[in-house]
Amino acid sequence: MNKERDIESNTINLIVNGENTPLIVGDQVSGLLPSHTLAYTLRETLGLTGTKVGCDHGACGSCTVLVDGKPILSCMTLTIECDERRITTIEGLGEPEIGQLDPLQQAFIDHAAFQCGFCTPGMILASKALLDNNPPPREKQVKEALSGHFCRCISHYHVVDAVLKAAKREE
Amino acid sequence: MKTFKHFNPTSVEEALSLLGDYQGRAKLIAGGTDLLGSLKDHILPDYPEALINIKAIPGLDNIQGNGEGLRIGPSAKLAEIAQSPVIRNTYPVLSEAAECVATPEIRNMATLGGNLCQDTRCWYYRYPHEMGGRILCYRKGRGPCHAVKGDNRYHAIMGGKACFAVCPSDMAIALTALDASLKIAGPKGERLVQIKDCYHVLGSVLQPDEFVTEIHVPHLPKRTKQAFIKFTIRKPVDFAIASVASVILEEKGVCKDARLALGAVAPTPVRATDAEAAINGKAIDANAAERAAAAAVAGAKPMSKNAYKIEITKALVKRALLS
Amino acid sequence: MSQEYRYIGKPTPRKDAVQIVTGRAKYIDDMEMPRMLYGKVLRSPYPHAHITSIDTSKAEAIPGIKAVLTHKNAPNWTTGTPRHVRVLDSRVRFVGDAVALVAAISRELAAEALDHIHVEYEQLPAVYDVEEAIRPDAPQLYEAFPGNLIPFDVPLFGPKTLRGVVLGDVEEGFEEADFIGEGTYAYENIPNPLPIEPPGVIAEWTESNKLTVWSATQSVTWHRHMMIPRMGFPDIRAIGTQCGGSFGSKNYSGQPFLYAAALAKTAGRPVKVCFTKEEHFGAFALRLGSRFRGKVGIKKDGTITAVSGEWFVNTGAFSDMAQAQIAVGCGEAQLMLRCSNWDVKTKLVCTNRNPSGIVRGFGGQELESALFPILETAMAKAALDPVEFYKKNYVKPGDGYYWRDGEWYVCRGRDYSDAIDKGVEAFGWKRKWKGWFKPTAVKDTKRIGVGVGVHGNADVGEDVSEAYVRLNPDNSVTIHACVAEPGVGQRSSLCKMVAEVLQIPIEGVTIAPADSLINPFDFGLLGSRGTFAMGSAVISAAEDARNTLLEQAAPMLKAAPEDLETEDGMVYVKGRPDAGIPWRKVLGLMRTITGFGRFDPDYSVPNFLILFTELQVDTETGKVDLLRVVIATDVGQIIDPPSIEGQLHGALGAAGIDTAIFEETILDEASGHILNLNMMDYKWRTFLELPQFHNVILETPIETHRYKAVGVGEISTAPGPSAILMAVSNAVGKKMGDYPLTPDKVLTALGKIPGDHKT
Repeated sequence: MNKERDIESNTINLIVNGENTPLIVGDQVSGLLPSHTLAYTLRETLGLTGTKVGCDHGACGSCTVLVDGKPILSCMTLTIECDERRITTIEGLGEPEIGQLDPLQQAFIDHAAFQCGFCTPGMILASKALLDNNPPPREKQVKEALSGHFCRCISHYHVVDAVLKAAKREE
Repeated sequence: MKTFKHFNPTSVEEALSLLGDYQGRAKLIAGGTDLLGSLKDHILPDYPEALINIKAIPGLDNIQGNGEGLRIGPSAKLAEIAQSPVIRNTYPVLSEAAECVATPEIRNMATLGGNLCQDTRCWYYRYPHEMGGRILCYRKGRGPCHAVKGDNRYHAIMGGKACFAVCPSDMAIALTALDASLKIAGPKGERLVQIKDCYHVLGSVLQPDEFVTEIHVPHLPKRTKQAFIKFTIRKPVDFAIASVASVILEEKGVCKDARLALGAVAPTPVRATDAEAAINGKAIDANAAERAAAAAVAGAKPMSKNAYKIEITKALVKRALLS
Repeated sequence: MSQEYRYIGKPTPRKDAVQIVTGRAKYIDDMEMPRMLYGKVLRSPYPHAHITSIDTSKAEAIPGIKAVLTHKNAPNWTTGTPRHVRVLDSRVRFVGDAVALVAAISRELAAEALDHIHVEYEQLPAVYDVEEAIRPDAPQLYEAFPGNLIPFDVPLFGPKTLRGVVLGDVEEGFEEADFIGEGTYAYENIPNPLPIEPPGVIAEWTESNKLTVWSATQSVTWHRHMMIPRMGFPDIRAIGTQCGGSFGSKNYSGQPFLYAAALAKTAGRPVKVCFTKEEHFGAFALRLGSRFRGKVGIKKDGTITAVSGEWFVNTGAFSDMAQAQIAVGCGEAQLMLRCSNWDVKTKLVCTNRNPSGIVRGFGGQELESALFPILETAMAKAALDPVEFYKKNYVKPGDGYYWRDGEWYVCRGRDYSDAIDKGVEAFGWKRKWKGWFKPTAVKDTKRIGVGVGVHGNADVGEDVSEAYVRLNPDNSVTIHACVAEPGVGQRSSLCKMVAEVLQIPIEGVTIAPADSLINPFDFGLLGSRGTFAMGSAVISAAEDARNTLLEQAAPMLKAAPEDLETEDGMVYVKGRPDAGIPWRKVLGLMRTITGFGRFDPDYSVPNFLILFTELQVDTETGKVDLLRVVIATDVGQIIDPPSIEGQLHGALGAAGIDTAIFEETILDEASGHILNLNMMDYKWRTFLELPQFHNVILETPIETHRYKAVGVGEISTAPGPSAILMAVSNAVGKKMGDYPLTPDKVLTALGKIPGDHKT
């Protein structure tokens, strides 16, 4: 049906960490299937494994990335619906070429705000969105922003310290 | 998950036309936070051939308040509703409900329409196919309701019939207390359906070729006291074990008009009309609240493991009235 | 108090910190091998059934499917204790049990192929309750285990491996008692330790009898020394990837390992098996179920005169190593309850649900959560302050106990009374404790209650660790110790210890990858043994290397080795730092010095912690809100302050304190399905409901190694559940005896809804 061809996507462009990333829809190698989640595309197609998949059902926050600056769950997002979206993953923070870390990343190191580290990329990105879009938060707001993030090692206390400290640095 | 075709219609008509073409074998996708979970777990024997993305349709995410009331598009995100000044000002039960849903990330993705139309969370219904095969049941068209003899701690204490899974939508409860209506578009045109007529035991009244294009909330002429109280095992993340939405017109401590809606206690949202009758015209004090709370649950028929919901619902009704 | 060190006791950034915060740390599912396939498991719909026929022909015909295995052609490897678990069996014993394995070029294709395998089953009756399972008419899960009783005859810890505690004369003991506590309590909510990362393994046969595995593991060598005898003695190289949490459950990952290895052998290509979260819930390690029926006698001064009873341990569909957990649990009970008269016997039972496995707390948490409520009944009758009671009865230096190997040990550790007293002070116990079943405060419909629990483990010195420490001419140092990183930070702490011994900048110390090929033996990172056992080996190795360095430098500096010092890569005569020579001169540019160290087991130094909790009960809704937790302990010397804080905060994780509030695996006994196989219906604590948390960590040097430290990481979860039960009991004024204390149970206890209140 003609109208279907017009509104079915053939190629989409993701802007990942500032880079245009065209993907061709289809079942060829490295092709984009409509059922691919953004988490899958980032990790398996683009090799950006910094984004983690914990539960794959939107209930743990590990897969959080920023889309147009907002924290969303990449495991519950279809890549094919992200055409021309600006996506920030953990690999996009700081300046990796010169070994420069984002102040949040440094704060997480300074406050030992991780143990196994699996939930850390998602937490850092959610925290980044909080700090970038709001005046320096109080403890309650940090906890609210991270309330969807599962951490079984219980690094919560150190994470809150790290985010508050990073917020002060940016002031 | 298994793949499907995917379409980005740019108008409601295009979306309806696609739904018509697929005759029930296509599903609308909004935020995707409910749909993708049930597709990944393959909980239903049928799998959609196509997903129709309504996020691409412009103008469906508006939030507009004026003298006629509130008009919200189905694609409005829950985070936007929670932060909307007009809603927080005049219809705070709605923004409070939106704030209670899931987690911040999900609220950035989930839409009002999606929240209203989401599928139930009954754990027999939602059992993942990969762990030994999906569970068939009355709601799926085959078999009994497993909750009746099984673990029904989260199931209905009233209104259940053949299926006892509760309506999981917080927004539906808040909208029920606001006497909202849903504009539903289909092949034969549009219809405006009052929210009390939008749900039945097995879910919403939407046909496979219909979709919600607007949510209407009537104008509130006077300042009302509103609350949305959601009881969960933990905050946030959880679906409600019981919830109460209240919109109370109070004058000099006397209740002039009470609207109370109960959530997660029945397969549909419940207007607690007996409780409303018990409090209307009375001074709102602890005794009156107690009586209203008792009236709210008077018709409850608990199952083997969920009598505790009665106590919790009573507590929430009292707290909503006395807040 | 503690000594001042250059690095020990000071926070230093984790060695893998930059990797973690930049997303570069590689976890198992981040890894890909050339030509790698993906393995998936077809799982049983029934809790107990024979597979009468299985037809895989359609699945095998799908392009891209490279191997399909069933019980008919799966390798003949067996695991379990004793060996009773086949890779694939012709009988299934829990909903979700493995029926067939598929390897395919993609995960989606593998999942699709599962639907094309046609299986017919003959259903059998199932049993879930531990005491029902041992009745003569119960369905039998294994021919080898009549009565569903799993035997203890595998000598896991030697021929006298503990399987109960029998000592003295309990009859006499009960005669002497002033108060008796009696009853049956169960800790049977089989919670899930639930690390965020699901288990995963990549297996590759490099030759027909040589297997390499990469896995998310806590104790890397287990995938070598445990699996070699179970697989007909191949050579196995085990490599540990960055591990997203384990809490005991991924000490090794038996089933994913076997599935990956079996598929890889058949397909002739590497195979990755990474479980989904649903499989993590429904087909991977849960806590043991624990039920204790018994009696405790105490004197009015708090002396325990007798403990007797039967401990029923429910391991689900098979025993991975429940017998080991029973042995350690029995040992730990004696640490906590000094008593000369014991008669505790155990039954290990299999039932038709997802099997239990190793979980932090390792049997001790399970036992004490069911035994302490009985004990506390006696304490309540005697109106004894539980803190005073536990303080009096925790093992003291000079006391004896049977440890897990059935040998008698004399405690040479320390008296932890100071730590207890400091904890009491920090928590405000004396003003908050109002007596048994009395709330600390009542405000409207809210009631506050407090509770306390203790735990300790003599496994801090368990098993063997070996290490090499290599000095390089560029002043860098390499540690070879097979130590994983599941989040405890031990790899970095070991670098710190070596940097301290050698007085070398910590940035220059590296620890080799956790690879069994390139490291000597290490038993594993468990039981809080990292600090003492691994630490000892690594410190010895560093000291050995240092000694060799000084011996080689001695003639160059015309002095005796004992007169020399090394600091920042220079060797000099003590007092003459200006006239030193650099390492590269001592070694030579093309030489290194390697030291070796080994730690042999020492079960005589139990660790300890006490956990206080304050919570609020809403008597209208039954909700329990955790307000405060205070932990007090004495670790001898803190190695890394943030790491130990993290380990203690872990009391809120890994199926610990919250198993008394809302964590449980919910099993539908009509059909055998686990109903909460997801992260919404399985409850875990969020940022919004964090209690105030305060750690009181004393540092009184303890005779372990050079830095006089002992670990406490593993024990922080164990005291929590019984402490919560006590606190809620006090808040509501009635003894609570069921886990977890969800609103329905609290409301029943308060008489608000009809029902049986478990006391």
